[in-house]
Amino acid sequence: MVPIISNFATSTPDQGGLFAALGIDWKMLILQIVAFLLLVWLMGKFVYPWLMKSVDERQAGIEAAIKAANEAKATALHTEAQVEKLLAKARLDASDIVATAKLESAAALTASEEKARKRSDQIIADAQAEINKEVIAAKSALHNETIDLIALATEKVVGKTISAKLDNELITDTLKAIK
Amino acid sequence: MINQLAAIDLHISIASETLFTIYGIAITNAVVTGLLGLVIAFGILWYAASKVRRGKYNRFVGLVQWVFEGLLKSVYDIIPDKKLAKKIAPLAITIFFFVLINYWLSILPGLDSIVYHGIPVIRSLAADLNFTLAIAIITMVTAQIYAIKYLTALGNAHRYFRNPIKDPIGSFEGILELVGEVSRGSALALRLFGNAFAGEVLLIVIAVLTSYFSSVVLPFFMAFELFIGLIQAYVFFALTLIFTSLAVTSHGDSPTDHSPAPKAQSAGS
Repeated sequence: MVPIISNFATSTPDQGGLFAALGIDWKMLILQIVAFLLLVWLMGKFVYPWLMKSVDERQAGIEAAIKAANEAKATALHTEAQVEKLLAKARLDASDIVATAKLESAAALTASEEKARKRSDQIIADAQAEINKEVIAAKSALHNETIDLIALATEKVVGKTISAKLDNELITDTLKAIK
Repeated sequence: MINQLAAIDLHISIASETLFTIYGIAITNAVVTGLLGLVIAFGILWYAASKVRRGKYNRFVGLVQWVFEGLLKSVYDIIPDKKLAKKIAPLAITIFFFVLINYWLSILPGLDSIVYHGIPVIRSLAADLNFTLAIAIITMVTAQIYAIKYLTALGNAHRYFRNPIKDPIGSFEGILELVGEVSRGSALALRLFGNAFAGEVLLIVIAVLTSYFSSVVLPFFMAFELFIGLIQAYVFFALTLIFTSLAVTSHGDSPTDHSPAPKAQSAGS
């Protein structure tokens, strides 16, 4: 340890004071100040502007991305609200449409029922009228046929062909006989 | 053991040693290593900046850019005034990189073993009081320049010199402030010098003590020195910013008033 202490001892102020012992040389100090300022100037001129620019650009990019993300979030929220609103409106419209459709279908059903009932009544009435006509026609035909049959039968009985003239005569004779 | 240690003749000198002289200026071992550090620091940053300018990125450029961005963020955090922060950033960031690289050069193999006329060629510039004192002076002078710019010369002088009859406490406070400025500057220089010098001595002592095992033991201490170098560089960087920030802060009439100088904004713009 003694040599170490001796080494330190050789740097003690006996050669030019405390500053010399610490190795402070004013010329070197000024030279180093100038050199360091030159380095700072060089760095400030040729190096830092580019690095700062890239940092600023990246920062701007990040800020723009954050802004875009916030805008997208706001848009998404707005869209979501709009979708919700539209869905609510659609639900309301749908329920209105369903209610209207129900009413309309009920009305249409009623109307068609009424129409069908009227139509069936009409058909029945027409059929009734047709039947009546046919009955009358049948009756008339039967009547005529009966008269013809009576006339034939009378002819057979009387032995003469019944004509209107003979018929009248018969009727007249009969009536006279009755009197 | 103690006798063995005593027998070891370690070459340790507080002052950096002169290798040769140019026009009467002593070129010390610290200056030679410092020139290497300067070339490395400028080379690394210039390379990164040129790559960034061309938009060609790689991992190394990304690392430098990441460190630079972190430092710039620290500048903006410590100095709220953006304009002042942008002005002081080049000085503070250069201090960080230059101190870091020069501190790290102290772990270069050959420390104390590569000699020229019996003088070790490698010696970290951070272990030279001329350099630490130089950047401490630059920091303190820069802080004063910005203080004058922001508070005016009279306002800045008012921080130190007050009428002792009207304001005896303020006058005493001013003297303390003046002493504080000197002590801040010298502490700034001596802290870095002390750490770097002690680091070099530690590495030399460990290398000598561990002898053949030094190649196993030294890497741990070298890693420790790398970490200490990073801390010291950041401390110097942060203190530069803090001293500048303190210098441009006006102290109002109230003892609790530490608001930024009202003239600061107008002076800055």
